[in-house]
Amino acid sequence: MSTLTISREPLPEKWARYGGRALTSAIVFTEVPADTDPMGPDNKLVIAPGLLGGTSAPNGGRLSIGAKSPLTGGLKESNSGGTAAHALGKMGVAAIIIEGIPADKTVAYALRLFPDGTVDLVPRHDLKGLGTYETVAVAKGIEAAEHRYSEKVSFIVNGPAGEMGMKSAGIAITDPHGYPNRFAGRGGLGAVMGTKGIKLIAIFEEGLKGKGHADKDAFIAAVRKFSGALTTHAVTSQALPTFGTNVLANIINEAGGYPTRNFSSGQFEGVDGISGETMREITLERGGNVKHGCHAGCVIQCSRYYVDKDGHYMTKGPEYESAWSLGADCGISDMDTVAALDRKCGDIGIDTIEAGVMIAVYMASGKIAFGDGAAAMTVLDEIGRGTDLGKVFGDGAEATGLHFGVKNIPVVKHQGLPAYDPRPIQGIGVTYATSTQGADHTAGYTITSNVLAVGGTVDPLKPEGQAALSQGLQIATAMLDSLGFCIFVAFAVLDMPEAFEAIHEMAAAHTGDEWDADALMQLGKETLTYERLFNEHAGFTNADDRLPKFFLEEPLAPHDAVFTVTDEELDSVHSFVPEVAAQLGIK
Amino acid sequence: MQVDVVLFAHFSGFQPDGKGGRHARAFELAEGTTIADVIAMIGLPDEPRVIFVNSRHAPEERELRQGDRLAIFPPVAGG
Repeated sequence: MSTLTISREPLPEKWARYGGRALTSAIVFTEVPADTDPMGPDNKLVIAPGLLGGTSAPNGGRLSIGAKSPLTGGLKESNSGGTAAHALGKMGVAAIIIEGIPADKTVAYALRLFPDGTVDLVPRHDLKGLGTYETVAVAKGIEAAEHRYSEKVSFIVNGPAGEMGMKSAGIAITDPHGYPNRFAGRGGLGAVMGTKGIKLIAIFEEGLKGKGHADKDAFIAAVRKFSGALTTHAVTSQALPTFGTNVLANIINEAGGYPTRNFSSGQFEGVDGISGETMREITLERGGNVKHGCHAGCVIQCSRYYVDKDGHYMTKGPEYESAWSLGADCGISDMDTVAALDRKCGDIGIDTIEAGVMIAVYMASGKIAFGDGAAAMTVLDEIGRGTDLGKVFGDGAEATGLHFGVKNIPVVKHQGLPAYDPRPIQGIGVTYATSTQGADHTAGYTITSNVLAVGGTVDPLKPEGQAALSQGLQIATAMLDSLGFCIFVAFAVLDMPEAFEAIHEMAAAHTGDEWDADALMQLGKETLTYERLFNEHAGFTNADDRLPKFFLEEPLAPHDAVFTVTDEELDSVHSFVPEVAAQLGIK
Repeated sequence: MQVDVVLFAHFSGFQPDGKGGRHARAFELAEGTTIADVIAMIGLPDEPRVIFVNSRHAPEERELRQGDRLAIFPPVAGG
């Protein structure tokens, strides 16, 4: 963006087996100095579909966005649904790399990719400062006037929080109906996009066909096998499509691991009001949509729309994490209030997890009361308006907690903890502590075995077995993120061997390369190795792989549990890194 | 003895009072009643489930005690 030019280069042969997270992490590791200012010209924003992006692989349309994170200071891969990944895949784009910084900081550009392979960069200064929804509406109008717009366009949009450089800013991706409601939310990548002066990326896919395969018949057979597993497993065929991700609220609350009022209790008396069951009942009563996919080829269909009392679209059905962060963690039990906060976060372009954790920390300071939804909204308004206080809030939970002198700030590597307390659910504490991404449940979702009885069982209240569980899931997740799969396929994959087989069969049939179970795990390990080494170069040590002290010292009701996994066990999670680094020839 | 029974997701339609919903119901049970007995009593479908007694996972052969809270979920996940 320093020279406002566009160039094209072939994917290096050494990365031919990479897509998604493996590719964004390899590029950031290789091309971004680990000690660079994430808001400076040497950081790069890398956007990549998975290796199977642009194909009919079921639930294979996830998008990876990578950069050095302004929030964590480490290598970030933020993952999203929406339609952009398949569009890029169909175009044959392995990754978009946005580098440099425009000399004029007042500008806003649109990067446009067309079906014939042309790409341009056009000024869209009028979009500067607009919310994500208005940005998409205006951009559609401009493209329609130029006869470019059709329904077959995906937008990747930055909100005002990202333009203002706030560390909780995410990047929105449009869904199949054109709503900018899917987010690469975590780690402040919107702030990086803001420094680049890119307000939106438009990907036009009219007329583009799915990618071809080395062995089409074998690919289709593997797709059928995978799809069959996803539509058979009880979680992916019943619970998720019926109630959405927020079906988790009641079970995590029942297990005593539902962080309430800034992680001061493990159960919330108002859980029913913000549960997936209640959300479904309200939405059906108002005539809203309660089941669709966030991208073509999704056979799970856990998305839904939340509508107001008149049946008008407000926001996507808040995901479990959002309903928790903006609900239970803030002591708020009203679904309409949570949905309004969710919409506001989406429009100004901030991560709902970081936002809710931040508001809860602010509530813990005593400045506003737990349960006060109107006060929570004023916090988000401050961010949207970019006031001095809003900039503190917009930098997330840790910045807010330090500013207001809050004792218990639930962050790891400066990133807010998601919706599972690590004291009664110890496996997830290992993931929070050791993930290259900072506190991130998706990085190694031990809730499966700890609470949900998916993929075996590991007692959530005991330290034994948690490090191994987290390590295995962190490797598997990095693999799924690299192929472009939604991580919810893991619920079926963990229980059904044929689903796992289908993954390497799809990879092999699509690419013509050899893929097997070991190769899949190697892909995950290589991805984590780039991330881990980058973080080491950026100054992280094992001391950064720890939970805040209060999780080790302050027992949580109802189990009176503290986190008891030892430091030695935490440090064992990345034991594979030196060997894999040597194989890759990197240090 | 009295045990509170609470059912979630699509199991909530199986509450014996026919009212559905996720509010705990007080069940009057004989001493020695197991979780499996309660499941049979309310006629839950024969499919996998995740069971908690007083917020701890519990096997179906567990005998219930006075004052227990029994929560039963179908397989769920998300995040």
